[in-house]
Amino acid sequence: MKKILLCLFAASLPLFVHSCTGDDPSGPGSADFDRQAMLENWADNIIIPAFASFSGQTGQLRTAADAFSAEPTQQTLDDLRQVWGAAYISFQHVSMFEMGRGMELRNYLNIYPACTSESNQGLTPEEKCSPEIRENIEEGSYNLELPSQYDSQGFPALDYLLYGLAESDEDILATYTTGSGAGDYRRYITDLAARMDDLTKEVHSDWEEEYRDDFVRNSGDGATAAVDMMVNDYIFYYEKALRAGKVGIPAGVFSGTPLSSHVEAYYRGDLSRTLLLEALDTVQNFFHGNHFTGGGSGESLKSYLDYLNTIKEGDDLATLIDEQFDAARSEIQTLDDNLALQVENDNAGMLSAYDELQKNVVLMKVDMLQALNIDVDYVDADGD
Amino acid sequence: MKRPALTNLTNHTIALLAPLLILVSCTNGTDDSPDIDEPPTYNFTRSGDSTVSFSGQTTRILMADELFISMSDFDNATEESLLEMYRNQTEAGGDTDPFSDAGLNASDKSIKSKVAASRDLFSSNASLSAEIKNDFETWLSAQVNEVFPNRNEFADSGQAGQIPDGSGVRYVSGEGLEYNQLVNKSLIGALMADQMLNNYLGSAVLDEGTNRQDNDSGQTEEGSAYTTMEHKWDEAYGYIYGTSADPANPNATIGEDDRFLNKYTGQVSEDEDFSSLSGDIYNAFKKGRAAIVAGAYDVRDDQADIIRESVSKVIAVRGVYYLQAGKNSLSEPSPDYGSAFHSLSEGYGFIYSLQFTRVPGTDQPYLTHQEVTDLLDDLLGDGPGGLWDVTPETLDDISDEIASRFDFTVEQAASN
Repeated sequence: MKKILLCLFAASLPLFVHSCTGDDPSGPGSADFDRQAMLENWADNIIIPAFASFSGQTGQLRTAADAFSAEPTQQTLDDLRQVWGAAYISFQHVSMFEMGRGMELRNYLNIYPACTSESNQGLTPEEKCSPEIRENIEEGSYNLELPSQYDSQGFPALDYLLYGLAESDEDILATYTTGSGAGDYRRYITDLAARMDDLTKEVHSDWEEEYRDDFVRNSGDGATAAVDMMVNDYIFYYEKALRAGKVGIPAGVFSGTPLSSHVEAYYRGDLSRTLLLEALDTVQNFFHGNHFTGGGSGESLKSYLDYLNTIKEGDDLATLIDEQFDAARSEIQTLDDNLALQVENDNAGMLSAYDELQKNVVLMKVDMLQALNIDVDYVDADGD
Repeated sequence: MKRPALTNLTNHTIALLAPLLILVSCTNGTDDSPDIDEPPTYNFTRSGDSTVSFSGQTTRILMADELFISMSDFDNATEESLLEMYRNQTEAGGDTDPFSDAGLNASDKSIKSKVAASRDLFSSNASLSAEIKNDFETWLSAQVNEVFPNRNEFADSGQAGQIPDGSGVRYVSGEGLEYNQLVNKSLIGALMADQMLNNYLGSAVLDEGTNRQDNDSGQTEEGSAYTTMEHKWDEAYGYIYGTSADPANPNATIGEDDRFLNKYTGQVSEDEDFSSLSGDIYNAFKKGRAAIVAGAYDVRDDQADIIRESVSKVIAVRGVYYLQAGKNSLSEPSPDYGSAFHSLSEGYGFIYSLQFTRVPGTDQPYLTHQEVTDLLDDLLGDGPGGLWDVTPETLDDISDEIASRFDFTVEQAASN
């Protein structure tokens, strides 16, 4: 609201009209760009292929979980862990597409830290998560559809169950073989993997069979237009899930206290930076309109900005955003594979990575949205 | 946009103040106003001993904090335990230890005894005081009897249960109300603002009995370094700054020190339209306290009026802010009910709190109990589902009604 007010104020001074709206009256308008071609490129070359690939991964995860549950050995544990890691990486390619049936996919697949007794330590009842994963397993009845169960399922719960139950592999395996309630633990693993696979396939088939056409046809502008919603989801994902979730929260940017246990894939340890880089690549590829399978690209946010010839302080906005992705990547590449160790040993590095990521929140959420004439459709919760 | 508005305001203010300025200079001319020695921070001493004390207020803020947190403790809280926290007594009036903090258990103070209990508004309205005290008990009981047993159900119209809010979860009644938010935000008015604005800052309390005489002569309370009037003023101060990191310089951490009046004074002051409020409140407290030391009671009362106006405005702005936030969540392409109900439950509490505000220079709140009750009925009255049925028009109407009693616009309040 303030921004609009400032724009109105500036609009009364002819000098500022151009820089305020980013809409050069003599140049091309946002309505003339072929939005439908961009939506087709997103749907057909990026979103649906990414879901197809991820859906294959969750199928393998389900198979490996069944095999482990049928016969928990070091071999089946290693296999399941390997498939889990590959699927987690693959998930980074679809996590931002929260539309249609995918609206709640991330809530069910990747809310971390997982709810465990250790993640509850030192918290007040108000802050504590509940039910804990072990409570679910021991009680044997759980409704994983409930919002209170977001952090007791998906990749983070499997991370805990495959790596975090005990120090040694031997002791972890014992939980599934000789421990009390071993059968309940095995069943929870298969329940989680099956649910992840089912949810993913539901979203994937919805995109292929129904949502794709609705999405592409909805090529106008306005709050409910596909471009506006997709761009909002994209920036929301970048700001909240990538910048804050993967980096800012563990680095203590919001709480003032570094929280190393809040990194993604905390129990596995050395996967967190890989997941972050994969997510950043995905965001940058989407910006370029690069096809998921590689080797080509189509209409994109970048080509849209180029078409509008958006200039910010004398520089091309699309180039600024692109270079800022590169700058963030360079910073992240200096970090430890294990971001929890990075937080514990040298949190300044995490904070530097956060700062680089943050710069693109401003360039995209403020400058890009102004140029594209899109309103932000989400608000920052005040945290209480 | 801003600048012309400010200029208008300034012109108006000058026009309005012109007669007052004359009055003030007349007063000064006939009365040798005592020198007021205002310290840089809220530090006041007598013969080297601090005269500032508000431990009872700190205690009640901490009690209210524990009560709020315990409302979400599904595993341990009971209707009895929550009511005992509210009363710091058993149902039969016996001693009890409901808090986790031993210091709070040892205290003979309670939240309930100071809810809707100000001299100015409730000393001759015991029935309304009892009704308001009872509202909190109703919410506490309902949390345990309606929400706790349904915590693993999906909330729906007429069905208590849980509802997603982003990646988190909220627990609401069948009308979509979060009772813990009703308790939290309503206490800001019923406990903090009422005690501050309508009790301790009122002349009925400050000037009671021989308070002026004692203050003029430096007669301190037995065993204490402060005069009664000084202490009453400090007790008002404690309801906003009682848990501050540095109570003598509380604006260094304003907004971070509790979940009640301190928190929302900080939050409202982050809005550029209201950025002066936290400073206005603190400075008025400090100057008023210095005025008491100097025996300058007119100056003291002027400062009390500034505090009354400013604290009342914090409550009103935040109420409108949450109504508009709720409206925005409901207006999204796919309505975000969880986020909306959370905002509107907070808004409910702030509206409730408006009946404890105070128009400076009068003995009236900005909105009466009846007016507040009507607005809350409107909020839940668009259909049988309460918040499930509320329309954007209703939320705008209530926002407009609140803003019309103050000197801010709905737009200014919504932009925080």
